[in-house]
Amino acid sequence: MCGINGIFAHNPAANAPNGAELLRTRDAMAARGPDGTGAWWSDDGRCALGHRRLAIIDTSPAGAQPMTSFDGSLTVTFNGEIYNHPELRRVLEADGVRFRSASDTEVLLHLYRREGAEMVRRLRGMFALAIFDEARGGVFLARDPYGIKPLYIADDGWTLRFASQVKALLAGGAVSLDPEPAGIVGFHLFGSVPEPFTLYRAIRALPAGHTQWIDAAGSREPRRFASIAATLAEATSVTASAAEVRARVRASVGASVRAHLLADVEVGVFLSAGIDSGALLGLAREAGQPRRAITLTFDEFRGSAADEAPPAVEIARRYGAEHVVRSVGRAEFERDLPAITAAMDQPSIDGVNTWFVAKSAREAGLKVALSGVGGDELLAGYPSFRDVPRWRRRFGPLAAVPGAGMLARRVLAAVAPRLARDNPKALGMLEHSASWGGAYLLRRGLFLPHELFGFLDPELVRDGVARLELARRFRASLRPDPGSDVGRVTALESTFYLRNQLLRDADWAGMAHGLEIRTPLVDFTLLTELAPVLPRFGGGAGKAALAAAPSLPLPDAVARRTKTGFEIPVRQWMRSTAEAGESRSRGAGARSWARWVFGHSMITGKVA
Amino acid sequence: MTEPFRVLALVTDAFGAPGGIAQYNRDFLTALAEEAGFEIVVLPRRGGTGETAPVGGITQLPARPGRTGYIATALRTAATSRFDLVFCGHLYAAQLARAAARIRRSRLLVQLHGIEAWTEPRRNARKAIERADLVLSVSRFTRAAALGWSTLPPERVAVVPNTVRELFEPGDRQAARAAMGFTDEIVLLSVGRLDSRERYKGQDRIIDVLPALIAGGRKVAYVVAGDGDDRERLESRAREIGVEDAVQFVGELRETELPSLYRAADLFVLPSTGEGFGIVFLEAMACGTPAMGLAAGGAPDALGDGSLGTLVSAEQLGPAIAALLDGQGVDPSALSAAVADRFGRVPFRRAVARLAARLVEVA
Repeated sequence: MCGINGIFAHNPAANAPNGAELLRTRDAMAARGPDGTGAWWSDDGRCALGHRRLAIIDTSPAGAQPMTSFDGSLTVTFNGEIYNHPELRRVLEADGVRFRSASDTEVLLHLYRREGAEMVRRLRGMFALAIFDEARGGVFLARDPYGIKPLYIADDGWTLRFASQVKALLAGGAVSLDPEPAGIVGFHLFGSVPEPFTLYRAIRALPAGHTQWIDAAGSREPRRFASIAATLAEATSVTASAAEVRARVRASVGASVRAHLLADVEVGVFLSAGIDSGALLGLAREAGQPRRAITLTFDEFRGSAADEAPPAVEIARRYGAEHVVRSVGRAEFERDLPAITAAMDQPSIDGVNTWFVAKSAREAGLKVALSGVGGDELLAGYPSFRDVPRWRRRFGPLAAVPGAGMLARRVLAAVAPRLARDNPKALGMLEHSASWGGAYLLRRGLFLPHELFGFLDPELVRDGVARLELARRFRASLRPDPGSDVGRVTALESTFYLRNQLLRDADWAGMAHGLEIRTPLVDFTLLTELAPVLPRFGGGAGKAALAAAPSLPLPDAVARRTKTGFEIPVRQWMRSTAEAGESRSRGAGARSWARWVFGHSMITGKVA
Repeated sequence: MTEPFRVLALVTDAFGAPGGIAQYNRDFLTALAEEAGFEIVVLPRRGGTGETAPVGGITQLPARPGRTGYIATALRTAATSRFDLVFCGHLYAAQLARAAARIRRSRLLVQLHGIEAWTEPRRNARKAIERADLVLSVSRFTRAAALGWSTLPPERVAVVPNTVRELFEPGDRQAARAAMGFTDEIVLLSVGRLDSRERYKGQDRIIDVLPALIAGGRKVAYVVAGDGDDRERLESRAREIGVEDAVQFVGELRETELPSLYRAADLFVLPSTGEGFGIVFLEAMACGTPAMGLAAGGAPDALGDGSLGTLVSAEQLGPAIAALLDGQGVDPSALSAAVADRFGRVPFRRAVARLAARLVEVA
């Protein structure tokens, strides 16, 4: 788990990479890798790779990176964890491969040599990696199917630059700061920047589940090797009884949890009062692990029903875990805010909770923690699983009439301006519910496209909306058709909210504290295993199955507890920080916070 | 044996025509034919004198100057025979090229040069370009501009820099200076059109810094090569500030006269803000003469981001020229070799061969 970067002067007209720039970018990611640094140059001086290490598997110097193969022809820089590396190693060893270290990094080199780009299909875990292939004269990039680990690229046509963070690429000083309207508009629509865009035109994310090849003929288009929609579409749905569904959830989630415990250092767990993290703790304890669980509590909530601590204490006691309860108050939030905005790689309206829970875990001396993130996407836990299909059915046919939606919005805004102000999203109902993606935007979106004209430059909005190609992106996330309502919403939530928001937050907020956050419920093998029964997860059945997964199930009170926001006090703090006095409509806190965050994120100016 | 990869090239002009774009088209198509074995049919809008003939593998059809006739011929040619690829030599023809490519489902390759691609083209041209299988740009700047006005994925726009030909090489500097009548002057040189509509070449910027250079005790001569309707304005500017004796307008020269002119100069300087690439920088440096330009447009590409030539801001132009003239000279053959290494015929042909392989790869 670490920070990676590289510079590859692929066009023969380009100057060789600049060593100082390589180190500037690498060391802008110091927090991601406090345990070691590395830099590597190809013999011809045209490719340079950097690495900052957080040592978790094979913490010895033998696991240092960038790592070069025995014959010198392949060099890898890698951020992530390969949970099935012991199995892969056994297979390779049976084939005659001799290993020099115990690290998962070395497995990547041997696997690439044997299978080339196809190697990525064999990996279970989270990864962003770059391999310089001397014989083929190019660089191979890859990113895990869910997009847990980030990888940003900037290719100006002469030189490829990549790094784990956007801000690190900018710190190198050679990448243009020209703004990307699609990234700016995307942030205001979603509350996070939708990949592949960033706030800067010159920088893009390598999309999740894609590989890319770059050589002297330039960067090739990223190639997809895994997609959530395809995995769901290809699964043969099975007729299973409720008990069989539960058994499958128990077996598959249990296996994923065990896989995610692989480490040469202690693994902790983030524990809230919810089902996801509680079940993870229960299942992990069955595997004899985490000794410690970390719970975040807010001073404002002490003694109230919203306090997460009492149920969490009960869960921890039930599973015999050592429990660390960490209290956060407004003063600490305000103290940390500058550090939070500095660590936030791309603007995000969330992540503050993750910041504090990661901070607490690090204070407790942990380097690795399991998080229950992704449970609601996988097990149909969000209200969107109910609302999106319903809106789509109710308003979709009407909305399909061309122009009807926009007309309805304008008429409503004219005849009922107050309603229009207080319920901006209701106005968009007809306009957007014609498609799955539109209905999803309605449910999940922060602002709707027409609202952006109210506070962003109109030309930027038009340009951004056009470049974002949102309708096409929504369709692509649902192709091939996942085949069920639950499947469609899972694909949308996983492709947009989870990937662009939750996983990004887990990355920057964890990495800022040198903490690796592992996500057993965001695991492609798990998704593949559960895909056949996924349509059965609606109506709370999925989450109930997870609550019942540990052999000692979660307490009833927890399994039935309605979702309280962990996030609520943070939202209040954010709101007063953003000084939102002008509107009291629902969601106004998030909206004003979004604008505050954006104002503190965008780096403008010219490259030196 | 597999059939050869066939290309229909829709270009303004190519073989037998004057000008930079015709030259680029000749270089590019010749490399495609010779390096990749592609079979190419060229349909030019304008003909030429026939001074440069196509090599084997390339057939140039008669020029069709009329718009309607050109479109009809292009579409008829595309319809009557199999083409794997349509090459669009200029973005103005993108819509036609796209239509021609659709007839037989050929791939589409669009070439972008300079300033014409810096602002958003008409909607239909933009839409056509967005459907291209590959877009080539001569510089990073032009590429970035195209990525700004289009939704093209960045990977679909590759950079193939211009190339400098072998006739631009170091030579007898003293003889070159004598031929121009220079003795002990410090010679500054610009080569570029003097077009009143596109006053971006920046010759006036140099005229403006001449008084300071001369006041510094230097005997400076500024040679302005190239012609156009902006010449009068530049001449009167020189008179206004009293440097008319130091400025020589030599008009437009034949290509064969250029190498000697470049060799005669102490510094080639073109503070232009509108170079798509800036081939003249390459020509000067290939002749062994140091070159200076602004960090704008394609000039940083030609000047190797400052490793071949010097990049300055407009405000620093005068002091930068003075510093360069007072500093140590360069080794002409080392400079020329460094330029040939990056932008010579050999790397250019290799680049085209690699792109040809990429075009076959996306098949």
